[in-house]
Amino acid sequence: MLRVRDVTVRFGGIVALDGVSLDLNRGEILGLIGPNGAGKTTLFNCISGVIRPDQGSMFFEGRSLKFAPPHERARRGIARTFQNLQLWGSMTVQENLTVPMDALGGRNTFSDALHLPFSTYAERASSERARAILHVLELDDYARTLAGDLPAGIQRRVEIARALAGRPQLLLLDEPAAGLDARETGHLAELLHTVRERFHVSMLLVDHDMSLVLPVSDYVYVLDFGKVLAKGRPSAIQNDPKVIAAYLGDESSKESNKSRDVVAMPRRKDEAPLLEVKQLAAGYGHLEVIRDVNLAVRPGEVVACIGANGAGKTTTLRAISGMIRPRSGTVTFDGRDITGKTAEHISRQGLIHIPEGRGLFPNLSVEDTLRLVSNSIGKEPDLATAYRLFPKLKERRHQAVGTLSGGEQQMVALARAVLARPQLVMVDEMSQGLAPTVVRQLFDIIRMMRDEGIAVLIVEQFVDSALEVADRAYVFEHGTIGHSGSAAELRADRKLISGSYLGSAVDVVAASNGNGHHADPALMEVVSVKLPAKLKRTLEERAEREGRPTGAVVMELLEGVKRV
Amino acid sequence: MTWSSRLTVRVLLALLAFAVLARLPAGLDIGFQFDAELAVVWGFGILSLVLLTGYVGQVSLCQATFAGVGAYAAGMMVSTYHVSYLIAVAVAVLAAFALGVVVGLPALRLSGITLAIVTLGIALVFDRYVFQDAAFAWFTGGSGGWRVDGARMFGVQMDSSKHLLAAYVLLVGLFCLVALLMVNLHDSGAGRRFRAIRDSELAASTMGVNLTRYKLLAFGMSAAIAGLGGSFYPLVAGSVSPQPFWLFTSLQLAAIAVLMGVRYVPAAALGGVFMAFVPDVLTRFGHGNVGRYSYDISFDWFQIAVGVLLIIQLILMPDGVWGDLRGRIAHAAAHAKSAARAVAKGRVRVA
Repeated sequence: MLRVRDVTVRFGGIVALDGVSLDLNRGEILGLIGPNGAGKTTLFNCISGVIRPDQGSMFFEGRSLKFAPPHERARRGIARTFQNLQLWGSMTVQENLTVPMDALGGRNTFSDALHLPFSTYAERASSERARAILHVLELDDYARTLAGDLPAGIQRRVEIARALAGRPQLLLLDEPAAGLDARETGHLAELLHTVRERFHVSMLLVDHDMSLVLPVSDYVYVLDFGKVLAKGRPSAIQNDPKVIAAYLGDESSKESNKSRDVVAMPRRKDEAPLLEVKQLAAGYGHLEVIRDVNLAVRPGEVVACIGANGAGKTTTLRAISGMIRPRSGTVTFDGRDITGKTAEHISRQGLIHIPEGRGLFPNLSVEDTLRLVSNSIGKEPDLATAYRLFPKLKERRHQAVGTLSGGEQQMVALARAVLARPQLVMVDEMSQGLAPTVVRQLFDIIRMMRDEGIAVLIVEQFVDSALEVADRAYVFEHGTIGHSGSAAELRADRKLISGSYLGSAVDVVAASNGNGHHADPALMEVVSVKLPAKLKRTLEERAEREGRPTGAVVMELLEGVKRV
Repeated sequence: MTWSSRLTVRVLLALLAFAVLARLPAGLDIGFQFDAELAVVWGFGILSLVLLTGYVGQVSLCQATFAGVGAYAAGMMVSTYHVSYLIAVAVAVLAAFALGVVVGLPALRLSGITLAIVTLGIALVFDRYVFQDAAFAWFTGGSGGWRVDGARMFGVQMDSSKHLLAAYVLLVGLFCLVALLMVNLHDSGAGRRFRAIRDSELAASTMGVNLTRYKLLAFGMSAAIAGLGGSFYPLVAGSVSPQPFWLFTSLQLAAIAVLMGVRYVPAAALGGVFMAFVPDVLTRFGHGNVGRYSYDISFDWFQIAVGVLLIIQLILMPDGVWGDLRGRIAHAAAHAKSAARAVAKGRVRVA
């Protein structure tokens, strides 16, 4: 039904997608998972036409999507939802649903303005249909509410309803479970199955939360660094060591373990914490992202926050550093209460927050960026120290920050933080989008910072590397802290962490299903158009067992039929 | 409420508005009668912004230019080609529509502040190099502009001196009609598509709304509405000059539209009245003596007043004057309803 072939997308120097191929059969729920920055949303945007791939081709129902603008794709039957909710907030839920319906119906603006009978009848028909869809998605009560006034969880369901309103054949769901708790996620999984039965749609499902993707999907693709890392049935994927490694960080970096044990200094337990967070709750708009967060960082300690995406790590950092106001709870830093103080005030106390995306000024040179620190410490910063810690930056000191590589940019951000003579540096997603070797260098820098007596609080996707450096770690789960302990403990108990990432006790009922990268697309087309998905999967599995292209198996069978 | 009954209510409201508005200036002196007509012309200008900014979320700072193109096109048709005024109006509306579509082209790529600057540039270019340039004398009638002595429409004589109010009645009628269509449009399929573009272009395009088509349509329709108002300007004022359609008028239209509530059609009527009457009232009565002190609040104070009011409005009633009023009325109505219900319940209990 949907075929994606060798799609490559580059943003400037960064390769977001590198020759990705993917097949989706009619009636299937295809899961697409992968760690942050793996290119899942980029692939989504390619399929829905929001961005244009640099290379590769896409076919939907046998027709190329190359020159089809987004609205044309919607017309052909591709509908999508958005990770960062894109409902039309000033319209009611019902109106939200009727837009895609009559956008496809080819209605006339002037007859609409005149309220001609033709328009009035179409109006009645679409509001009937909207009501039917809302009923299936259990949204009846919200039909007349403004979409923008709804809580985020409900908005996600409205997004699915709106996508269904355009009578799609393929539904692209971008992180539908983001911000939902475990129970709601389970409910969503049931709902998706109902939707498939009722509306006869296929689905491509992207999510970080494996506890949604694995039970729901018939087949799963795993993306990592813009490439297809693995594909297979959910049960196989869950136990695939490659996939676990991609989510939890590279296990091969274990060699550097020994060096760490030497560096690790025993910390006195009774030392007064530098940063203490108690019962912290915060969120955005209607959505409460974190609640009951308790954590502490002692002077000169490295503490890691790990956990799946959307678990509330970034929000916690933002609430600590004053970028958002905490709703309740207290934050104490260096013996002073800084709850709800401005970000500027907090940074002057010696608590520096390096946000996700680093917060640099792309047009400023390295040296100018570092000099800016004088604004906050009130005197000329000691650049020599920075260049001693970061020799690479000395070579590049006249270069504009925007032209540096991602790793070097992160170094600039770290150097800037160090120059401000902080007591605590919080680094959010330090290694996001960076290659493992670069990540290792950055972690060495974190060690150096600790040796200089600076406490560090890091939020990381690379769990293994983070746990190597850290003294202690907090594991975030659904907006609060699930486990905490010394890094050594957590490293020993990998299960504990993999549960919070991969969804513990996932009961996978694998439907008989198969899919794959087919050797001969021309022959494959015969299969994908003419056969029901179940039959096709059986064929594919046989082909895989026998190590032949699926097309060849089909041809052989057809020959057999002819003979009979 | 069903569709047909809602439509009936709207038509009745429009007729009522027409009946009231058409009579209002009858007792006023000739100066204020002229202001009343000007109010409708600018009312069309603000109405065009309600469509473009309020419905579709596109910024434009050249609405007065569209009105000016309408005015000059009508003046040219009447003076050069001696056609009936109705045809001149039709040509003017078409010309403005075409210009609107052209101005809409950059909006396909731009939005927000960049689009505002581009439209500002267009206003500047038209003001300087079209309305005031000898090369376009065929369109603008040269430095003297076009003179329009009067016209006969629907068997009624209209001109800028003796039969001033006849043109006003026609203008108000047209205004009520366009306003009615705009309100209808808001709740219809096309209106929803427009509002979908306003709230999220990304979602609109992936849900099947053709952005190119609907953005250009919005710009064209908006320009046509402004041009319709402008096309009556020669008849109302007796002549056309570049001054009323310069850059600053566009800015003023945008400011007053936001002030009155850019998402609401009735705000256009409020805004038109505000824009036409307040400066005139200030000029006429804005000077005198209070005790020993003499004061002089001239026209210049109007600009400052608009600025100050805009700031106050953005803080106190972010949805504009009409939006705020509407919210209060709805709130009071809901309150009254629940109070009435409580009273009714009480009675039952008493009985």
